[in-house]
Amino acid sequence: MSSNDPRRIVRSYEQELNQLRAMMARMGGMVESQTANALAAVLNRDSEAAQQAMEQDPEVDAVERDVEGRAIRMLALRAPMAQDLREIVSALKVTSDLERIGDYAANIAKRSLRIGSGDAGLSLGALRNMGRLVQESLRLAIDALSQNDEAKAIEVWNSDKAVDELYNSMFRELITYMMEDPRNISSCTHLLFIAKNLERIGDHCTNIAEQVHYSVTGELLPAARPRGGQGSERGFHLDPDDPEEGAQDDRDRDPARGVSDQGPAGPELGSR
Amino acid sequence: MNDQIGQNAAARPQQGVSFAQTRGAPQALAPGRAMLSLRGLDFYYGANHALKNISIDFPEQRVTGLIGPSGCGKSTLLRVMNRMYDLYPGQRATGEVLLDGQNIIAPGTDTNALRSRVGMVFQKPTPFPMSIFDNVAFGVRLHESLDRAAMEARIEDALRRVALWAEVKDRLRAPAAALSGGQQQRLCIARTIATRPEVILLDEPTSALDPISTARIEELLDELKVEFTIAIVTHNLQQAARCADQVAFFYMGELVEVAPADRLFTAPREKRTQDYITGRFG
Repeated sequence: MSSNDPRRIVRSYEQELNQLRAMMARMGGMVESQTANALAAVLNRDSEAAQQAMEQDPEVDAVERDVEGRAIRMLALRAPMAQDLREIVSALKVTSDLERIGDYAANIAKRSLRIGSGDAGLSLGALRNMGRLVQESLRLAIDALSQNDEAKAIEVWNSDKAVDELYNSMFRELITYMMEDPRNISSCTHLLFIAKNLERIGDHCTNIAEQVHYSVTGELLPAARPRGGQGSERGFHLDPDDPEEGAQDDRDRDPARGVSDQGPAGPELGSR
Repeated sequence: MNDQIGQNAAARPQQGVSFAQTRGAPQALAPGRAMLSLRGLDFYYGANHALKNISIDFPEQRVTGLIGPSGCGKSTLLRVMNRMYDLYPGQRATGEVLLDGQNIIAPGTDTNALRSRVGMVFQKPTPFPMSIFDNVAFGVRLHESLDRAAMEARIEDALRRVALWAEVKDRLRAPAAALSGGQQQRLCIARTIATRPEVILLDEPTSALDPISTARIEELLDELKVEFTIAIVTHNLQQAARCADQVAFFYMGELVEVAPADRLFTAPREKRTQDYITGRFG
């Protein structure tokens, strides 16, 4: 909404829209901090950060429900049109992307606690790079969202390819470790899922970018976006219970809600 | 009201282009062809320039919604399209209003025949003080001489199309004024379509009706558009969104934007349209 727009006749409507925007910004901030905690948990073996990331998850979920309720209420009572309509519909979709990002962050945090201390030999370098890229994407996506910045949205949309490529190289690297020594399998599997979670966060960032672009311009970005992942693992389902896992072509659709990739992560996770 | 205006049609000799010639069976036209085209239309109420250089197509078998704040010229546009302004001195139109290719605002146009081709329905139901049957028959009698059986068939057909037949078939001779508001409005639409026009103009046809009657009229428009070209002026944006295939936004006598309804209401191109439909005009 540009500042030179004339004032809305119904002020309570404007207030409701402003409240919705504020809640989206708040939710974005929460998810950013949750992701930062999750990454600190893995990369710095920081169990306190892991705990925080996990505890933040229900708060994010609560904000999501609140945003959904407000958006539906406005659709019903205000019959929004034009940019208002696009903004509210986008908020509904973005809030669900943010909630998923929160889930992935919580999941990374949980897994970080399961990587044994004896696995310090495993290289975390690629994961660190990937984490940095994904955090940057998330920060940009949330900026684009709160500033209605179409250019930033496009930047996020174009940046996911690098994340995909890093994920693919990590995938190969970890498979190699596992083949070299079966004792690495448990830790490598956790790391692989963490990498996949990060890669999925990147995908949700591009979803957010697409929504911002639509909300601002009224135009949908093309269905196909730049992406990495032409390698052999493309379409490889790491987790049979998670339809999102490895299903790279599904990303532009809104993924089914409530999908968990906490599945077959080994007995130690199940006992938690 | 075409019926009122055409009262002395039978007495008046046909002049200029005869619109009556093309009435009757709908012509086989490709859907979406412009039945009515305005080209550089200007309209004046005396010195007041009420419509400024309007160019717009009304495709056949489509509903065109006209929206805009009060005084923007949308009702004036309807009044031009069946030359109702002719009835008032000091009002004049320039440019072209092409009905099936013929400029109806050119001098020499037979306005009575025109009004049987371009019917109009108003904001408040306007039943005549006569029976239901005679209300519907009124316009037909001005333009055609049907025998009794043919007239009865025509009346039944019109009343069925507006979904009023089941409600009134046993009291066709009862006064129209006894009908409810919604029924009266459907009766007025029946009266309009009984003369088999090509274009139907509706000026806020549901603004005086309750939601159920409104829904019935909207449903009716959806059925009627298969045969007619429809233009509807409405202040209700949701109604325009529900009924219209294309929507035109007018502001201060100018046509600001015309677009398919879904695009205009989700992503208008013009800032003035955006401001109006998001409630920002004072």
